[in-house]
Amino acid sequence: MFLRKTFKHTQSHSRYKVLLVFYLFTPPPQRDYREPCAQCSEVTWGITDEGKFYCRSCHNVIEKTKEVTTADSFTANARIFSISKGLRKKTKLEQGREWYLCEGFQFILKLQADAIQALGVCPQFKDEILCSFWRRYLQKSRQAYTKKPLEDMMRIRKASESSQSSDSQSLGGWSSSSESELDEGQSDKNSGPASTSRSRSPLSDDFTSVCSGSVDGRLHRPQRQRARMLLSMPMTLAFCSMSLLWLRESITLSELLRFAAEGHIPYINVYQSFPEELKLYGKDTHIFRVDSFPSCESIQQHIYKIAAFLDLPRFPEITENCVLHPNILCIKYLMEANLPDEIHSYIWRVVKRTGMGEEASLTFDPLAKPAIPINYDIKAASIIIVTLKLIFKLDDEFEWSLSNDAESVNRNKEGVEIFNFRKWYKTMKLALDKANEGVEEDVARYMWQCKKPIFYSSKTRSVVVKKKRMVVNLQQQFKKLTGSVPRTPQQPPSSFQFTWDEESQDKPCFHGHSLRAFLKKSAVYELLNTGYWHTALKQCRKEYCKGHLHLEEPHLPRSYIFILNLFSFMLKVDSALLHAEVHETERLLLKAKAPTTPSGKRRRRVLHLIPCL
Amino acid sequence: MRLHPKNRACVISHTWGRYSQSGVMDDLYEELLATAEQEAPERYDQQTSILQPGFPLPLPPKLQLPHSRRGRKESGFHKTERICLRQIHKALFQHQWHKASALMTNYFQNIEDKSYRRQRSSYERFWRLGTEILRHHPRSKIDDFNSFLDRMKNIGVKNYLKICLEHSFHLLSNGMLEDANRQLSLAESWRCRDTCATQQQMIQGYRGLLDYYTWVQKSDALPETEKYDYTAATAKQDMQSYFRQASVNLSAIIKQPGVWDPFVLSYVNLLEFYDDHDAALHMLNDYAYDNKFPPNPNAHVYLYQFLKRHQAPWRKLVKVLRILQLLVPSHELMLEFCSLLAVPDKRKYHHEALKVLFSLLDYSSWKDNPDAWNSLEKTIQLVFKVGASAWIKDEWASRKGWWPAFHFSAYQAKKTLAENAPVAYSKAFVAGLLLGKECKYFKTIYKGGRKKRPEMLKEMKKYIANHSLAE
Repeated sequence: MFLRKTFKHTQSHSRYKVLLVFYLFTPPPQRDYREPCAQCSEVTWGITDEGKFYCRSCHNVIEKTKEVTTADSFTANARIFSISKGLRKKTKLEQGREWYLCEGFQFILKLQADAIQALGVCPQFKDEILCSFWRRYLQKSRQAYTKKPLEDMMRIRKASESSQSSDSQSLGGWSSSSESELDEGQSDKNSGPASTSRSRSPLSDDFTSVCSGSVDGRLHRPQRQRARMLLSMPMTLAFCSMSLLWLRESITLSELLRFAAEGHIPYINVYQSFPEELKLYGKDTHIFRVDSFPSCESIQQHIYKIAAFLDLPRFPEITENCVLHPNILCIKYLMEANLPDEIHSYIWRVVKRTGMGEEASLTFDPLAKPAIPINYDIKAASIIIVTLKLIFKLDDEFEWSLSNDAESVNRNKEGVEIFNFRKWYKTMKLALDKANEGVEEDVARYMWQCKKPIFYSSKTRSVVVKKKRMVVNLQQQFKKLTGSVPRTPQQPPSSFQFTWDEESQDKPCFHGHSLRAFLKKSAVYELLNTGYWHTALKQCRKEYCKGHLHLEEPHLPRSYIFILNLFSFMLKVDSALLHAEVHETERLLLKAKAPTTPSGKRRRRVLHLIPCL
Repeated sequence: MRLHPKNRACVISHTWGRYSQSGVMDDLYEELLATAEQEAPERYDQQTSILQPGFPLPLPPKLQLPHSRRGRKESGFHKTERICLRQIHKALFQHQWHKASALMTNYFQNIEDKSYRRQRSSYERFWRLGTEILRHHPRSKIDDFNSFLDRMKNIGVKNYLKICLEHSFHLLSNGMLEDANRQLSLAESWRCRDTCATQQQMIQGYRGLLDYYTWVQKSDALPETEKYDYTAATAKQDMQSYFRQASVNLSAIIKQPGVWDPFVLSYVNLLEFYDDHDAALHMLNDYAYDNKFPPNPNAHVYLYQFLKRHQAPWRKLVKVLRILQLLVPSHELMLEFCSLLAVPDKRKYHHEALKVLFSLLDYSSWKDNPDAWNSLEKTIQLVFKVGASAWIKDEWASRKGWWPAFHFSAYQAKKTLAENAPVAYSKAFVAGLLLGKECKYFKTIYKGGRKKRPEMLKEMKKYIANHSLAE
């Protein structure tokens, strides 16, 4: 039976993959047919897998079919784009077409790529980079472009198991049911394997109908995730981020996630923009539905896994001219944090001394072992914080006392204003509190539920639909009461969350201020501050360490905590993570000076550090 | 016929209280316990394992911990829910009904939450919050209210009875007696496991209340002049029948232990109309003093008011107020209590009045009340006359630490003198006596008020110099 089965599947794989119902990456427009669409009067025609013309802008399928010519561009990769005419049947439960999960994800990826493209990244992004990553993924994971599609492999394995095991009933019907669904018509004559599947078919058919709307949704199991790199919603963002990294685009990971959270990049409830034919059902609901935004770290993990899975080569090098290089990224954060530009020359020194600006340490290499996560934005922020600690000491004493001096100098003298830490703190505190409030308001008003009801099984359908209707009614009722409360219009996407203006009173700009109050009178770069404090430098094992910040927070100076919170708000990362990164940067900076056996003391003084810089 | 808002508020509080009778509050409490235990298993276990078994430990304060430290990661959806709820609360407290309703629009998405446990607790939340918003929103109409509550009945079947009763009460307080009656019939027709007996009782109680209001309407409509007319006689008969119905239902429900303020008031009103004072007094006594009933200050207030209306002897009035004082030392009737106690030549009562006044002024709501300070001034003078200054010292001993900052700061002296001069003088008198004439409060008032009331202040200074208690 095993042999017969294998044989059968080698026969059937030729019509296996039916991909790209929705052209992902801008296919060439069809030139043969030039009539405007009846529904939207656009002239962008595509061809469905059944050979019919459909409108790309409104997905209206018309009766006219494409004349098949041998010289068609598609025939060159006939295997890849093998079009199964009429084989896709309508399944039970008015579920629309048969479709595969990767098609759904491809649709989502396309939407996300379009959104990112609209933000102004380079045009290669979608059609070249993301597309080739995606194709490579599909091939590697044997979901498409392969002679041995994954599902067949699974089935073979399953069948061999079932032939060995005497109790074939207990194995559950999914493998055989999928087979019976796929091979109906053809396999009828094959009495051998069909008979085994037939024997369970009444049960398994029901099972299929409850299982999922997509064909392979029921194969999607979390425990297989590691072995097979199954797709998940966070992975779409990982793909986007990886492509951006390859292109060395200026959109960092935290920025990407922020755009997703702000709704500029579709992520939550994307499935509601699926075409009618892709019916979400059963297991699919768990796969496509998201109830939180992924964290920076988790996306980073995904990127590493994907890159390793795809056997990607070393990524393009991050040179000093790239936006992701700390020297340049720090400028952005300095501007956003409203700090004087003069600080940049010190940042440059810190970067040089710590060796954090070297290409080798900045370039992402999936093949390197061990793979070290490179979080460019967190790195840049940590460098800024370390530099601020060098200049202002941030021990709740030094910076305030020098602020007093700066204030008195400012009062007496005209000309370039001297940076006053206290004034800066007050401005930033106000802005941060306000921004936090705004974010909280946004979070409170976030809509997580999609507009059309989705349900797990037909049993719960009536309940879900009823609830949905109830919610809509209630919302309408309360919306009427709300009336004309002005809702803040959605902000256009911006790299900056804070903006500063020289003129305005409540948002004064500190960019042009000089650091003279914190420098020695004689030298240009010599700082007044000669002390530096840091927490214990001992490295701890990642798996046991859940962040030191919660333990250390009561002992750390308040101004340091404020700056930590400011940057963690700007990057939307946990402040403990940022603290750990600051710690790492400090370790690099003090490597030469660090004692071999670190003592238990929390705050150490390292003197005469600055002149050596 | 609209209920007085104050009355309505007390009805709401009463309904809350009553639910504890029907066991729903207990359910909620159990649920709360369950969540607390579920969320904090490891910590709870640790504590119990260290200590001897059998020691009852309070619940760990896990519920107050920030979310991020509670172990399992919170999903974005639930975070939105939590923050949204917090913002709705804030908006309700600040009476921003528009904002609250906008947030509520968003909050309804949680109806679709998949987890059953969350659903159960949140249905009541939707109902309570929505009702609160609709009750106060300037643009909401009674139709909105009706349709909202009808929907709520459909999603939270567990709360069906409660919603019906409260709906009926809302209609009643808007004068829509017929609709209210219909709601009660709806509630009656609803059957659920084991609630039948209590359910019937509650509904009958509400029926009684409805009958009472019909009775009130009829008695209002009864023309004064035509009392001996034939139509008037039939109207009276009609009223009599409503009275009978109402009194049967009301007396039945009041017998159950619980908080029944509006029912009690209506019943007393009915009985008084038909001159059945003994029955009313008996019922009020039971309501106030029966140990089965939860402690309820209003019960004592009603009893006191009833007694006062019927010229009860002084001794009885004082007795009622003395108990009320134990329950609520800051009650507004306390001033009346003091004036009752101000009997000449009774040292015992002067001492009691002094204690009552001191404990009254411990509460910030009385901080600038002219009557309270004035009567304290009078009482202190009376006490000096009796020659028992030790009492004042006793009272002062426990307040020495915080009254100067609470009542007698220089800032307050300036402020009070500008806004409310009589209070300032009375307070200055007390401050001068207790802290000496060199204290900040007295000095400020003396300086500030010297031009306006020189003689009075001079006299006061003299009195203080003679009687000062300061060490």
